[in-house]
Formats: sequence, C-alpha cells, structure tokens
Amino acid sequence: MSDITLTNLTKVYDSGAESVVAVEDLSLSIADGEFLVLVGPSGCGKSTTLRCIAGLEDVTEGSIQFGDQTVTDYSASERDIAMVFQNYALYPHMTVRQNIGFGLKLSTSLPSAEIDEKVDAVAEMLGITELLNDKPKELSGGQQQRVALGRAIVREPSAFLMDEPLSNLDAKLRAEMRTELQELQADLGVTTIYVTHDQTEAMAMGDRIAVMNGGVLQQVGPPEDLYRHPVNEFVADFIGSPSINLLDATVQAGTLSGPGGFTYTLDDPTPVEGYDRVRVGVRPEDITLVEDGENTAIVNVVEPMGNENFCYMELGGVETTARVHPSHRPAAGDAVPFSFPEESVYLFDPDTGEALKTKTDEATDVAISA
Amino acid sequence: MSTWLPNDDRLGADSDAGSLRTRAWDRFRFARQAYSRVVPELGPVAYIFIAPFFILFTLFLAFPIAYTIYLSFFRYEGVSGDRWFWIDLGPIFIEVPRIAELSFVGFGNYLRILGDGLFWQSMFNTTYILAIQVPIMIGLALALAVALNASFLRFKGFFRTAIAIPVSANIVAYSTVFLLLFNEQFGLINYMLATIGVEPIAWLRSEFWARKTIIAAVTWRWTGYNMIILLAGLQNIPQQLYEAAEIDGASRIEKFRYVTLPQLKPVLLFVIVLSTIGTFKLFAEPYVITGGGPTNATITIVQYIYREAFQSWNLGYASALTVIFVAIVSVISVIQIRIGGDN
Repeated sequence: MSDITLTNLTKVYDSGAESVVAVEDLSLSIADGEFLVLVGPSGCGKSTTLRCIAGLEDVTEGSIQFGDQTVTDYSASERDIAMVFQNYALYPHMTVRQNIGFGLKLSTSLPSAEIDEKVDAVAEMLGITELLNDKPKELSGGQQQRVALGRAIVREPSAFLMDEPLSNLDAKLRAEMRTELQELQADLGVTTIYVTHDQTEAMAMGDRIAVMNGGVLQQVGPPEDLYRHPVNEFVADFIGSPSINLLDATVQAGTLSGPGGFTYTLDDPTPVEGYDRVRVGVRPEDITLVEDGENTAIVNVVEPMGNENFCYMELGGVETTARVHPSHRPAAGDAVPFSFPEESVYLFDPDTGEALKTKTDEATDVAISA
Repeated sequence: MSTWLPNDDRLGADSDAGSLRTRAWDRFRFARQAYSRVVPELGPVAYIFIAPFFILFTLFLAFPIAYTIYLSFFRYEGVSGDRWFWIDLGPIFIEVPRIAELSFVGFGNYLRILGDGLFWQSMFNTTYILAIQVPIMIGLALALAVALNASFLRFKGFFRTAIAIPVSANIVAYSTVFLLLFNEQFGLINYMLATIGVEPIAWLRSEFWARKTIIAAVTWRWTGYNMIILLAGLQNIPQQLYEAAEIDGASRIEKFRYVTLPQLKPVLLFVIVLSTIGTFKLFAEPYVITGGGPTNATITIVQYIYREAFQSWNLGYASALTVIFVAIVSVISVIQIRIGGDN
C-alpha cells in the first residue's frame, strides 16, 4: 500500500504530422488508502492518466511516484498495481478460478495450494464461490464484474486502478455495485483511483474527486467542495444533476440583467466589481416557484420523479431547470414566477470562466461535518 | 407518361442544377419502386434463382461422388457403345448410352489395395511429407504473423503482400521454377551452396533430398496464405487481454503462451486442418518437379490414383483408392478437430 504522486505528468500522442496532447502538466497526490475519482467528459484525458499510472502508456514528461519510489519507467508488471477494465478483460479460455489466480501464478512463487486458498477466500468475499469452475462467457455482466474485482483483490496490490468498471452494468446493478465497491475499498484500505464519466458515480464514491477537461486538471477536492465551490464554470456545470442553470447577464451597479427580462439585484456587489458582464449560475434545487418571485419563466416540460418534479422552463431562449416539490406541477406554457436566494448564486468571469462567487450558505455545512 | 412514372413535383422541378445527378438517381429510384409495385409477386421465382447451384452441384459433384463409389465395386473394361435407355416421343428420339463397360468384382478392388506395395509406398511418402511440411509451414506462418502484428514494425503492407504473393503463382509454373532452382548441375541453389564451399547436392536423384525439395516448394507457396489467416486471427484478439496479462505480471513469452495461443486456437485449428487436407492432396508439385521419383520416393496418393486412373485406365481400382483416400483424410480431420476443439 502506498500513496501515489503525479508530478507534471504530460502525455502526447504523436501520430506522424499531428500530435495530440492527451494529458497536460498534471500534478496530483493521492493519499494512502484514499478513494480518488477521476471524472470528466469523454476525451478529457482521465483514462490516459490512469493508463499512465498503470504503466500501459509511456509518459511523455513528468514523473509518477508510488511512495518514495519513482516508477515512471517501470513496466506495468513491475508496478504492483491491479486494474479493473470497463469490459472486464477476463481471459475467455480460463475458468473463474484460473482467471483470479493467474496473476499470483505468474508473479509470485506461491505453491498452487496456497494460490487456491487465496482464490477461495476472495471468491467467498465476493460471493462467487459457486462460479469458480465456470468460464467467463457463462457468467452475467455483474458476475464477470465480480470476477474482475476478485482478480484485482487477490493480488493484494499497492493500488487499484479502475477504468469505468460499472458502465457496462444496468442501472440497478450499477447502484448496488457502487455501494459494494465502496465497502470493499474501505475494508481493504487500498489506494484506489477510479475513472468515470458519470458525475453521480464520482460524487457518490470518491473521497476526493479530480475533474479533468481537455487534458487539464480543473479541480481536486471532496465532492461537497466541488459542488459548492467550483473553481470555474466547467466544474460547476459538470458536477451536479440536473446541471446548474447558466445564463449571460450584464452588470449595472450591482444589478444583473439577462435574457427574457431577467433581473437580479445583488445585496453584496463586491464579486462583480469591475465587470460589466458575468455568467450567472443557479442550481436547480435553489430555485423556488413562488408567487412573488422576481423573475418569470415559461414552462416547457415537467418531469415527475415521484419525490420531486423537474420543471424545465424557458427564460428568454435559455433553458432553466427547477427542482421543486412534487406538489408544484405547473402545466406546459404556464408563466411561473420564481426566486432564489443570493447565498446560492454562482458568478463566473464571462471570458475565463473563473469563479467570482460560489455558495455562501456555509452554516448547514458545519452542522453536518460536526 | 406511363402510370408508374412519378410526377414532376415529387422531383422538385425548381431545385438548382447542382442536384442534377441526385435528381436522376431519385427518378430511377421512384421508377423502380413503382415498377416493383406493379409486377405481381411470383412465389416459385425463388426456385429458379437457386436452381443453377443445385443443377451444377448434382452434375459435377453429387453424381461423380456417387458414381466413384459405384465404380469402386467394378472393373472397367472400356467405353461402351450400348444404349442404356431411350425415350421415344415420336418425332424426337432420345437415346442415352451406357457410360462404360463394367464387370462387377465386389470388394475385389479394396482387397487388392491391402496387398498393393505402391499404394503403401505412396501413403508413406504423403505422410512423410505431411509430417514435416505442415508443422514447419504453420510454425513459420505463425512466427511471421506475430512479427507482422507487432506494433513497431514499419512497411507492414509491403511485407504482408510480399509474403502472401506466392499463393497466386500458377502451380505448374512455380513448380517448374523449383525444378530449375534445384537442378543438380545448373541450379541456383547448388551454385549458391558452392560459393560457401558445399558440394553439389543431388536434390532430385536422392530419395531424402527429393522429398525435401517438394517440402520446400509447398512450404514456399502456402506459408503466406496461412500467415494471412493467422494474422487476421491475431488482430481479433482484444488488446485489453494483453494489458490485463501485463498487469498480472506476464512477460512477452507468457503473453504469447497464455493469451495469444489460446485465443488463436480456433484459427490455428482451421489452418492445420486445411493444410493437412491440402498436403494430403498433393499432386502437381511432385508431378512436375520429381515425377514421383526417384524410385517412387515422392509419389503421392493422388498421383498414384491419377496413374491408375488415367494412365493405366484401371478406373474401378482408382475409384476404390479414391474412396479409401477420402476416408483417411476425413478420419484425420475429425481426429484433429476432436483433439483441438473445445467440445
């Protein structure tokens, strides 16, 4: 077990005439036993980063350290890591027992009896004992997933690397495996780096989340932090479901004016000082539909979720989502007044996307963490 | 305008000239659609379309196979002029002659095979060539395929084509080239051996070397063909299996042993069975290069069948040989598939 440090990691794919920068100058440390989630849209470099850590890709520049050891030039087999692939990559011609024991057979000098014991123990932990003599093609997706996990666990590696391991499962099973994986990781206490494009998965699982975009690390932090205090518009937009509502506004003496007659007067105009334009962000759950709301939007669609309603509205051509109580069910075409508190407003620089103001309603935070 | 032609407004008469081609194609498509609605559906038409296959199959495959088996129980006495049956339709008179003059010998032909020294000699020759040639060729083809599949290799397309091109050579032509190459006095091979101080080898006069010459020729022609098939198989192996194996600690050789070979097994089996059958049917190369010699050391089964059938005109006996030959090849293939296949 060890901590992992990436320093100025850069990966450039050179394909003849054009070169593509997949990961740019990424520095990140992952503590021993931590569950870190790398998240971002497809093509953001998260998988490449993971593959560099695994040793499946050469690093163009920068270094990778496991504990005190620099492993940048080590091959995958020398790094003492285990990886779980998106499509599991089980050996089709081997039984489940052989699949799980394969790594031990190759990389250790354990006698076969001991390997069998370890495989049995892991199989029991994952509840796949009765599948040990089956071939992968006889198993369901969830079962294959468990075998892939077993193959990683049995080696007692210094780190688990997981590349979208749950994305081939159906929604219900995915949610189940999510919890199970977290429990397993907590029990084993192995440093884990988990790649996903699904921000819900990232929020639910990670001790910390690293958001990437275009090969560049945007922000690293605990899920709450990223949600409440994103460093820029990209992170604010990527984290949270449904996504944050964003619109362009002009600033005049602390009053924001946007599309569809949107106006909002800030009690504290310090964040927008020196700006004549800003991007305004409001989370869907912070919008309340009230009769004396300052602004009005036209309802397009209402999605009833049972415990809440997603209300998709139009505000001067900008789609705006409100997450409201199930008793609020406006009809399509209705003009509904809405309101939101200033503490929950996010403001971003219109050119750089940098956050000028994030949530300021800290009180509940303290109560939860205390 | 006929009823099934589309009217002009469907074609967008006022669209620009740039779409002239598109409009022409649309007109064609509409016409075809309209036409197929007008033509009545004919159920039995399908049978007309599949009939040529069955006619040709019956004429050139099913009938000859059946007739070979029939023939193997007879002695061929010569061509027959007798009428077999006729159909009298008044103005048209169809007469079908007997194919051949035959005399029934029961299992006589088969019993004769048991004591036929030359049959056993040709069996031995064929098996000998097969036992050496097929493993060498498959091994070579696999090695070349793995090399060509390596990511770092450049000019892959060139090498692939160059190695596979012998398969397109005409059999008699390339056999003749080998005949010249291995000529004892003027051949290039002996000339090159002489430059490094090796005495000339009597390639075609020694039993040992004559068989090796045949093996060399067949291997040269078919290695590339098998390599292409194996290469296609290699490219179907998911890259992630290699990555998983690498993380599990597998070396290059272990990856080959534990990922490549088991994943390639079905393709490898296919190539082995096909090559075995192919070499078993060996005919043209020994016919051209060695003529079966020296002292029948390279005469193959098919060559022996050919001699019996078309030089000695023992068609009944040759048919019996053929039946036995097919049986042996089938048994070997079934054994290979049983051993190599997963259930």
